Amino acid sequence: MPKRLAYSLSDEVLEHVFSFIQSDKDRNVVSAVCKSWYEIERWCRRKIFVGNCYAVSPKMVIRRFPQVRSIELKGKPHFADFNLVPDGWGGYVLPWITEMAGAYPWLDEIRLKRMVVTDESLELIAKSFKDFKVLVLASCEGFSTDGLAAIAASCKNLRELDLRESEVDDSSVHWLSHFPETYTSMVSLNISCLGSGEVSFSALECLVSRCPNLRSLKLNRAVPLDKTANILRLAPQLVEFSTCTYSAELRSDVFSNLAGAFSNCKELRSLSGFWDVVPDYLPAIYSVCSRLTSLNLSCATIHSPDLIKLVSHCPSLQRLLVLDYIEDSGLEALASNCKDLQELRVFPSDPFDVEPNASLTEQGLVAVSLGCPKLQSVLYFCRRMSNAALVTIAQNCPNLTRFRLCIIEPNTADYLTGEPFDVGFGAIVEHCKDLIRLSLSGLLTDCVFEYIGKYAKKLEMLSVAFAGDSDLGLHHVLSGCESLRKLEIRDCPFGDKALLTNAAKLETMRSLLMSSCSVSFEACKLLSQKMPRLNVEVIGERGPPDSRPKNCTVDKLYIYRSVAGPRFDMPPFVWTKDEDLALRLSP
Amino acid sequence: MERIKGKQQKGTNGRLKVKQSLDPLHQMFTFFVLMCMELQLGLALPGSDTWSRPLLKLGLYEDINVNSKKRGFDHGYLEDEFSTASFKNYEKGLVGWPPVETWRRKKLRCQVHNHMTAAENGYCGGRASNSTYVKVKVEGVVIARKIDISIHQSFETLTTTLMTMFDIFDENRRSFKLTYQDKEGDWLIAEDVPWR
Repeated sequence: MPKRLAYSLSDEVLEHVFSFIQSDKDRNVVSAVCKSWYEIERWCRRKIFVGNCYAVSPKMVIRRFPQVRSIELKGKPHFADFNLVPDGWGGYVLPWITEMAGAYPWLDEIRLKRMVVTDESLELIAKSFKDFKVLVLASCEGFSTDGLAAIAASCKNLRELDLRESEVDDSSVHWLSHFPETYTSMVSLNISCLGSGEVSFSALECLVSRCPNLRSLKLNRAVPLDKTANILRLAPQLVEFSTCTYSAELRSDVFSNLAGAFSNCKELRSLSGFWDVVPDYLPAIYSVCSRLTSLNLSCATIHSPDLIKLVSHCPSLQRLLVLDYIEDSGLEALASNCKDLQELRVFPSDPFDVEPNASLTEQGLVAVSLGCPKLQSVLYFCRRMSNAALVTIAQNCPNLTRFRLCIIEPNTADYLTGEPFDVGFGAIVEHCKDLIRLSLSGLLTDCVFEYIGKYAKKLEMLSVAFAGDSDLGLHHVLSGCESLRKLEIRDCPFGDKALLTNAAKLETMRSLLMSSCSVSFEACKLLSQKMPRLNVEVIGERGPPDSRPKNCTVDKLYIYRSVAGPRFDMPPFVWTKDEDLALRLSP
Repeated sequence: MERIKGKQQKGTNGRLKVKQSLDPLHQMFTFFVLMCMELQLGLALPGSDTWSRPLLKLGLYEDINVNSKKRGFDHGYLEDEFSTASFKNYEKGLVGWPPVETWRRKKLRCQVHNHMTAAENGYCGGRASNSTYVKVKVEGVVIARKIDISIHQSFETLTTTLMTMFDIFDENRRSFKLTYQDKEGDWLIAEDVPWR
């Protein structure tokens, strides 16, 4: 009979110890030690992250973790950002809010990404959670300023309201005015996604002036320059600020007012916005540039010479988002000025034009890789690339954790050799041992997947488009990438064999999305039958998949693990294996 | 899927082009100017019906490096080829490529491209840009530039700025002339028209 060692650590002590353990992974490990630790841990877990809102049901979460204060939910897969997931697919938050309203009266933080949030959900949040503090709606949709008004009116202790990149309908309600006069707790406000009509300046100024703890303010485009200066003067303690519309003509009074306002902001570290900025106004921010760690110019149509001037004033820059107007010359300047740079994102100013819009090539990225030893995260859109450049980048930056390259024209080959980019990306995965995210582009054969499967052991997310020759490509990835959680593929010749052979792997991942590949409906059904804990969703815009010929491939396939079983809110264009669901009425 | 190309051929869009007069001592360069839909300027022939708003149109762009095809400098209108090339992605029917987020795409579209006249479509999803940027491309030079036409009050300043942008020295300047193409497809000298 095994002796049971009596560790006389009481529950309270254990709970106290567990309170220092914040990461989900560690908490999961703790809860697996023994039954009593599982019990203690589940009662004291305060933060939940659900990476796929359909992987588990709200009731299950509530049952296991009865005292949660903070929840983060993600809905649609990443490809939805690019219109690859049809409207109405799902990701509704209302069922979650409804359950949590009853179970978690002390819930104070809700963070949502790519979910459908209705005014009803927002009203329910406003009504149900007395001490509500943080609402982050990232890339969400389905709500209007009515819902925001409800939040503003009821959430007396709201600290954070962040609507980043969400689509908000303008119901013409002056929602900002719904914050009562007594409300003073705003710390972070991001309304940069709102349209012109949706914000009243006076309400905004009033709000800013009575919130002394305001640290982050991201305004929308409708706030003109002279108002910007006023707002900055009301909140010189800001750390993050998103500027507004710059007017077309340079007026020296507006300029000096703005420059003066910025010079008061000693804590400012992050600037963004710059919509329609006119270069003549840029010197107004020079006084804060030396302290800036983050600069987002990805909406600014300013050109290389002005960008170079700006960047040369920012030696502390760690993060830069910019359009390809920066050009190779600008990136060279960046490389020589900004030695602390960790993250670079270069977006295309004219993504649909085959001809280049700016002199930005692979040289710019090579220069940054050479000059910025701390570079970790890259997102780069360009029109030409070479294997030589990729190998150089890989060798210069072995600490890369995120590398996303988009060569705009599909199937573009190495411009120097005409070869595919297998060797180049192979070098990236071989040298960058901590790589967790990779996006491929350009001409690629099955070889690149062999390299990825062999070397990319820490890779968690892979995006593939117009690549590969056969199922072998997919097989290499599924069988080799041990840490893979999310895989998204479009327009690749990957089919049934690789999927069915690696069915078990799919249960170790969050999700797999395949669009315009070569998977048959038969294989989907087989996979479904074989793997009951996978939801295999066939998204078919061209009619029921089983009404089409047997060898027809499915449009889109979304596979994700779930302990909640099939979902009940599927639209008519989504099919799963469940026969009964085929009889359901369309909404 | 509707072919964007067809839209460009309709007569509703105007076009602005800067054309160099033929001078055997100088290389022939051609400026093609692309105007943003929200551009408030109008260019009108004296005595003719004015366009309500200008337009947008895609000027032609001859890039000798595109697809390794070399083109001669004496091409007059490459409209069709250009429009084919620049909207290749649309014509392929590629949804979601390149992978630029929808909101960013909308924003860029407002700033750079507009395929319908102002009369037909005055706003870009409620986020109408007041941008009056014009895209200028030079034959033989790969890179296009954008210039804010609203800050200029005359062809003189416009031309000077363009010259500086493209590093064209004063002595070459005389070989350049600003021209535009109207709805009927006729190329006319811009300086003959009052600046508005």
